[in-house]
Amino acid sequence: MKRRGRGIACMWYPIGFTVSANPSAAVVKVNEDGTATLLTGTVETGQGSLTILAQIVAQELGIATDDVHVVSADTDTTPMDTGAIASRTTYVTGNAARLAAEKAKKILFDVAAPLLGVKPDHLEVSDHKIQIKGFPSRSLHIGDVAERARGVNGDPPLGSASFNPATAALDPETGQGKPFATYVYATQIAEVDVDDETGEVEVLRVVASHDCGTPINPMLVEGQVEGGISMGVGFALEEEMLFDANGRQINPNLTNYIMPTSLDMPKVEVDIVDSYDPTGPFGAKGVGEPTCVATAAAILNAIHDAVGVRVTSLPATSEKVYAAIKAKRAQEGKRLAAGT
Amino acid sequence: MDKKETDDKKAAVIERESQTEALREMLRAPAAAPLAPLPLETLVPEVRQQTPAVRQRATRPDARLHGLGQTKYIDDFYLPGMLFAKIKRAGIASARIVRIDTKEAEALPGVVAVVTARDVPCNSFGPSLKDQPVLAGERVFHAGDGVAAVAAVTEQIAAEALEKIEVEYEPVTPVLDPLESLKLETPGLHAPNPNIYGHKVIRKGDVEKGFAASYRIFEASYRTQMVEHVPLEPHSSLATWDANGRVTIYSTLGRITLGRADLARTLAVPMSRIRIIATVVGGNFGGKNEITTEPVVALLAKKTGRPVKCTFTRPEEFTSSTTRHPIIMDYKTGVTKEGRILARQVRLVLDGGAYCSWSETTLAKACILSPGPYDIENIYAEAFVVYTNKTMTGAMRGFGAPQVCFAYESHMDDIAEALGIDPLEIRLRNVLREGSLSPTSQQLHSVVVRETLLQAAQRFGWNGAEVRA
Repeated sequence: MKRRGRGIACMWYPIGFTVSANPSAAVVKVNEDGTATLLTGTVETGQGSLTILAQIVAQELGIATDDVHVVSADTDTTPMDTGAIASRTTYVTGNAARLAAEKAKKILFDVAAPLLGVKPDHLEVSDHKIQIKGFPSRSLHIGDVAERARGVNGDPPLGSASFNPATAALDPETGQGKPFATYVYATQIAEVDVDDETGEVEVLRVVASHDCGTPINPMLVEGQVEGGISMGVGFALEEEMLFDANGRQINPNLTNYIMPTSLDMPKVEVDIVDSYDPTGPFGAKGVGEPTCVATAAAILNAIHDAVGVRVTSLPATSEKVYAAIKAKRAQEGKRLAAGT
Repeated sequence: MDKKETDDKKAAVIERESQTEALREMLRAPAAAPLAPLPLETLVPEVRQQTPAVRQRATRPDARLHGLGQTKYIDDFYLPGMLFAKIKRAGIASARIVRIDTKEAEALPGVVAVVTARDVPCNSFGPSLKDQPVLAGERVFHAGDGVAAVAAVTEQIAAEALEKIEVEYEPVTPVLDPLESLKLETPGLHAPNPNIYGHKVIRKGDVEKGFAASYRIFEASYRTQMVEHVPLEPHSSLATWDANGRVTIYSTLGRITLGRADLARTLAVPMSRIRIIATVVGGNFGGKNEITTEPVVALLAKKTGRPVKCTFTRPEEFTSSTTRHPIIMDYKTGVTKEGRILARQVRLVLDGGAYCSWSETTLAKACILSPGPYDIENIYAEAFVVYTNKTMTGAMRGFGAPQVCFAYESHMDDIAEALGIDPLEIRLRNVLREGSLSPTSQQLHSVVVRETLLQAAQRFGWNGAEVRA
C-alpha cells in the first residue's frame, strides 16, 4: 500500500572559498554607441552566469542586458578569475564586473557633467541616459557621451577592477574566525509516496524557498533550483558508485549507475525569499550549489513520516527502505507477542 | 487470374512504390534542404532590451545557440591533421608498476605517438597537496589512474593501441574502508603523506557544559555514498602548438586561471606560452575544476607536431574524474525540554579517495556547516579526511554540505519526534537570526533562514504555517 509522507529540511551555505583568497577581475569597455563589452575570465558551464554578469554591468551603466556583450574564458584576452566554483560567480565576479562598470561610468560622468552644468556626483544613469538626479528631463544619451569621451575628451570609457570576498583566518586550535563573507539559506519540503510492500519511493512534490540575496535573474535562479533538486533526488534515492572487493568500480556506466530522468522529477515549486546583502552586487549573493543541499534530507524525512522508518545511509534505495520497514514490523511483532 | 485482379495488384504495387518513394523523399529532405536563414529578429526576446536590467527574466544568448544546435563543444572541433588520444587505465586499485612496454602499440599502423610518466616534465599537481600524477609512474593509487596515452589517426586505432600496451604490476593490498585507513599506522598508503591528510576542528563554547545542562541527549550516525557529477558533456581538450613553442588548449575546464598554472607546472612551460580557451561547458557541477586530459594532449601534440584531442569515455567519467566524498557522520545533541539545542558534537570522516584534490576545502566546509543553520552556543565539530585506494573525491556541488545536511536534518526530525514537537516548530525555535554567531563565532548578516521556513511551509500548506506567517 502506498503511504504518503512529508519532510522538511533547511540549510545554510557560504559563498566563495573557505578563508582563502578567491579574487575575480573584470574589464568593462563602453562602446561609442553606448553598448558595452565585459571581459571576464570565468567560464559559462551551463548555469547562465554570463547572462547574470551582463545584467549586472547593464544595471550599473543604465543600459539593457542585450547591450552588453560578454567575452569570457580565454587566458590570452580575459583577466584572471578564480572560476566557476564555490557558488561565487554572481557575488565575486559580479562585484568585480560592477566595480569595473562603475569606473567606466565615472569617465562618462566626467564628460557629461560640464555639458549638463552640474558636478559628476549629481549624475545618475537611467534607461540609456545620463541624467541629473532629481531632474531626469535634463539628460544626455549614453552613446553621445561615450562618443564624446573618445572623440573630444580623448578619454575612452573603460574600467577594470577586482574583488575578493572579505574573510579572516580561522584560529588553528578552535577554528574560530570569519571563513566566508556571506551565506545563503533555504528550506525545501518534500512530499513522497512510499510503497510499504516494495519500499519504492516516489517523490511527488518539492517546495523550495531559497535565499540568493537579490535575484539578478529570477528565471535563472529557478533553473538552478530545479537542477539542484534533480541532483538531490538522485543523491537521496538512486545514485551510488559501487566497488568490488579489489577496489574496481562495478557500475561505471549509465546503464547500472541509476540517476533520475525527467520521469523521476517531482513537481517543483520555487519561491525566492526577500533578501538583500549590502556586500553583494545590487544585493545579490548566489544560488548555484545550495539548491542541491536540502533535497535529500527533506526526502528522507518524508520517508520517515510516511512509513516510520529512519534510513541513515544514502541512497535510500527500495531495497533499503523495504528492509527497514520489515525490521520495524518484526520489532513491532515481537512487542505485540510480549504483550507490551 | 482475371484481368481485374491483376490490375488491382499492379495498382497496389504502384501505390506502395510511390509511398515508398515519398517516404524516401521525406528521409532525404534534411540533407538536401538548403540552410534556412535564421529568423533573428522575431526570436530576440523583448526582456533582454529592457531597463533596469537587474531582476529581469532575461534569456540567455547561449540558450538560443543550444536551441538551434549551433553550440560547438570540443567534440565538434576538428583541426587539420588532428590526432585522437586515448588514455590507458590501470584497472588495478593499488600496485607498483614494474614495467611498461609500449613497443607493440607504437608499431601499430596509425599510431603516431605514445607517452608515459617518463615524458611528463613535472609529474605532480593538485590544488592544495600536489599528490596527483598526470600519468602514474611508479605507483598506482586507484584503478582509474592513467599509465600511458596514445595518439593515433582515429579513435578506434588509439583504443586498439591501448590493448597492445603491456604493463606489469606488483599488486599492493588496497585500502578501501576510510575507517581502516584512519587507524592505519605508517608507512601509510600514500607515503610520505600520512593517511589522514586533512583535519579540522571547530570549537565554540563548552559542549560538556551544554550536555550537562541538557534535558535529553540524542546520538545518531549517518553515512553517505560516492556519486558522480555525470555532466552531459564529458571532459575534453584539444591542444595545438605553434612553431614558436606556444600551446593553445581548448578545454572543458571551469577554472582556466588555475588550469594554466597547473599546465605551466606539469609541462614546465612559462604561463605566457600557454593559452587556454574554455569552450561552452556542457555541465560542470564541480567536476571540471582541475586538469585531466589537458597535459596529456599537450604532450602528445608536442611530440607529434599535430593537434591532438582527447575526450573521456563515459566509463572514464566515473573511474578517472573526481567524485563526491562519502562521509561517515556521528552526531550528539543536547536539548532542553522545549527542543532548544544547547550543545552539539559532530565527528566526520571523509573518504578522500586516492588523491587530495579539493578535499581540504570540502573538509573545512563540511565541518563548519555541520551544526546546521542553528544558533547553538556550544559546538565541537571535528573532521578528518583520509586516503583510500578508490576514485579520487573532490569538488562537487555543495562541498560536503548535502552530506551533513542529510545528517543534521534527519537528527532534527528524530529529536522533534521524541520531544513531541512539530518539525517546523523545532526548527523555528533554533534557527540562526540576524546577528547570530555562526559555529566559528562570525556575526551573520542578511540571515533569512526563518523566512525560508515560513515561506516554504505556507506554500506547502504545513500545519499552522499560515497562522504563524
